[in-house]
Amino acid sequence: MKIFKAFIIIFFLLFFNNLYANENSQRNEITKNLRCLICQGQSVYDSDSDFANSMKILVDKKLDQGLSEKEIYIYFKEKYGDWILYDPGLNKNTYLLWLLPILIFVFGGAIIFKRSIFKNN
Amino acid sequence: MIYSVVGHYSLILGLCVALILIFFSIQNFKNSNQLDTKILSFSFLQLFFVLISFLALIISFVISDFSNETVFNNSHTTKPLFYKISGTWGNHEGSLLLWLLVLTLFIFIFLLRTKNQPIKYKILTLGFQQVIIISFFLFLIQTSNPFNYLFPVPDEGLGLNPILQDPALAIHPPILYLGYVGSSIIFSSALAATTLKMVSTSWATHIKKWVLISWIFLTLGILLGSIWAYYELGWGGFWFWDPVENVSLMPWLALTTLLHCILVLERKEILTSWVIVLSIATFTLSMCGTFLVRSGILNSVHTFANDPERGLFILIFLFALIFLSLFIFFFFHQNSKNNSSNFFWLSKETSILVNNWFMMYFLSVVLIGTVYPIFLDVISSQKISVGPPFYHKLIAPFLIPFLFAMAIGPRLKWIRSDLKDKIYLIFLLIISVLISFFIVKNFNTNILINTILISSALYLFFITLRDFVNKKYKNFAQNTAHFGFSLLILSILLNNLFSSEIITNLKVGETYDNSKTKIFFESINQEKEKNYKSIIANFNITNSEGINNNLSPELRIYNQPNITTSEADIKTTLLKDKFIVINLVQNQDYFNVRYQVKPFMLWIWLSVIMISIGGLVSFLQKRI
Repeated sequence: MKIFKAFIIIFFLLFFNNLYANENSQRNEITKNLRCLICQGQSVYDSDSDFANSMKILVDKKLDQGLSEKEIYIYFKEKYGDWILYDPGLNKNTYLLWLLPILIFVFGGAIIFKRSIFKNN
Repeated sequence: MIYSVVGHYSLILGLCVALILIFFSIQNFKNSNQLDTKILSFSFLQLFFVLISFLALIISFVISDFSNETVFNNSHTTKPLFYKISGTWGNHEGSLLLWLLVLTLFIFIFLLRTKNQPIKYKILTLGFQQVIIISFFLFLIQTSNPFNYLFPVPDEGLGLNPILQDPALAIHPPILYLGYVGSSIIFSSALAATTLKMVSTSWATHIKKWVLISWIFLTLGILLGSIWAYYELGWGGFWFWDPVENVSLMPWLALTTLLHCILVLERKEILTSWVIVLSIATFTLSMCGTFLVRSGILNSVHTFANDPERGLFILIFLFALIFLSLFIFFFFHQNSKNNSSNFFWLSKETSILVNNWFMMYFLSVVLIGTVYPIFLDVISSQKISVGPPFYHKLIAPFLIPFLFAMAIGPRLKWIRSDLKDKIYLIFLLIISVLISFFIVKNFNTNILINTILISSALYLFFITLRDFVNKKYKNFAQNTAHFGFSLLILSILLNNLFSSEIITNLKVGETYDNSKTKIFFESINQEKEKNYKSIIANFNITNSEGINNNLSPELRIYNQPNITTSEADIKTTLLKDKFIVINLVQNQDYFNVRYQVKPFMLWIWLSVIMISIGGLVSFLQKRI
């Protein structure tokens, strides 16, 4: 039994140690977070529409100009509005969106904590 | 023509039977020594009428009877028979009729199979179910009659949306509906049990079977939708946090919570209010989903049919449902006299509460993420998008303690417990962390969070794996489901880390070559099928290990309606999927080629199947 377990563990270690991934380009990461404005719920990365293709070229251009990921998001946000960004940043429109789930979590935790008995009697 | 008439009147008759059923239920309820046999017969009659109506619609589709508006809008003579039939529920009207069919089928089975429960309870459940059924009848006949008549009769139909012409999507709606509609039984029976003040351990055992049925179907339904999206929508993802996907996930989360919570109620009469609230929430969320999808206020890749009038009807129905259930809950529900609803912190009860806590959190993230943009748009007309980054940020960190709790929780005993095998558990933890570190260290991603995430999933994986071998362990169903879940999370994480892709433009005869992969565009074939033309591109792909693969993605140009779809070609092996898809580049003879290597894809599907097998085992096993 122990040999079997050891074998499994060694197998896992060897197996994963040999895996390498191709680096995903920064462009893919960025375009995944941009909405294709003319599509139904697709990101620029996912879409092959003309709009998405020109956006991809634009992102490449901006990267070549040396803009960082954040600066590119700001650029698109100023041009097209919040709608284009899939990641709704924390601002006055989205405080509730981000905080409400956390509040619910804290609240639920409080209830369970209150109902738990910790003493060993 | 004749079939439409039969179908239409059959629907009206079904509605009449619903009214008769309510009448007899009230009579029987007053004098409830035994279940009136008439109720069973009429319930069967109702099922029969809806079935006739459904068959009539199928036949209309099969013979392409374009005097029927639904058939005209969604079918075409050149469509293969299989998709003519599946087209029956591939549209709004037909899918609602299917929904109604399942509603009547389930209540009939419920009446037939429910034994050892009070007659009054059965009748009352039937009553609540009939209210839902009547609403659906009215909805169907009023706003979306599948048997509307067209004159003059068109020669040819408009055809079915080609991306819906797919085997997985042909069976996806029925399976998903079995899950949704199953939750209606839970809803009705929870209301009935509350009214009669019989929310008890025996009720929990009885309703658990129904929870399991809906849960299994919902799980499989979501899986099918996901598989379909993976190969048909053509960009190699399987979950997009799209609103329409989210609305199917929400009832699933609620149902999973309910399933765990019922385990507690099954043993001790506590948490009754919570179980009732969850039962109500599950069905309400299913209806919410229908409202969001059908009203067309969502911007989604899956939105196919919508109409504001329908949205309004569902919205009113939804509010009526919520009002009714709140009324019954506050008016009739009595908290159990048993006030000792505190639990020792290290016990199975507490761990199930922890499960409920996290599930509710995940549910609230998905719910808020889905509806918040809609409300913001209405209130301040600001449009924002809530996409994958939002869900990942809020869900991934919480998944870590959740997975650990999932590993430890089932090992605890009821009421009070002590953790045994501490050394072993810590040993496994160290192993998991080590392995995860080995995996993650090769990447320049965020090492810390990835290591911890993978460790927690691996930890659950090892512990459940060991419990399979450990024969002392009894709860096979639970272990299978939890094992499946660990496998699912592991596969998703590793898939995310190891996926690689190449996007390029190629002409026939050209080769793309980077140091690792060579893609040779061999040739192109054209074929003509009955309802589409297809362009098949043949690629020969060689990877760094010298393994050769021939892949042939396809472009289909459908004639009715005139839409081009791209069919990915996927080579699935145990460890990875090779996925290739092509698209036309406008006005050029280049094709846009997207080639992806996606490890562990198969395991994502298999693990979900394993999770549902866990449910199935639990459904089949008798309570010990």
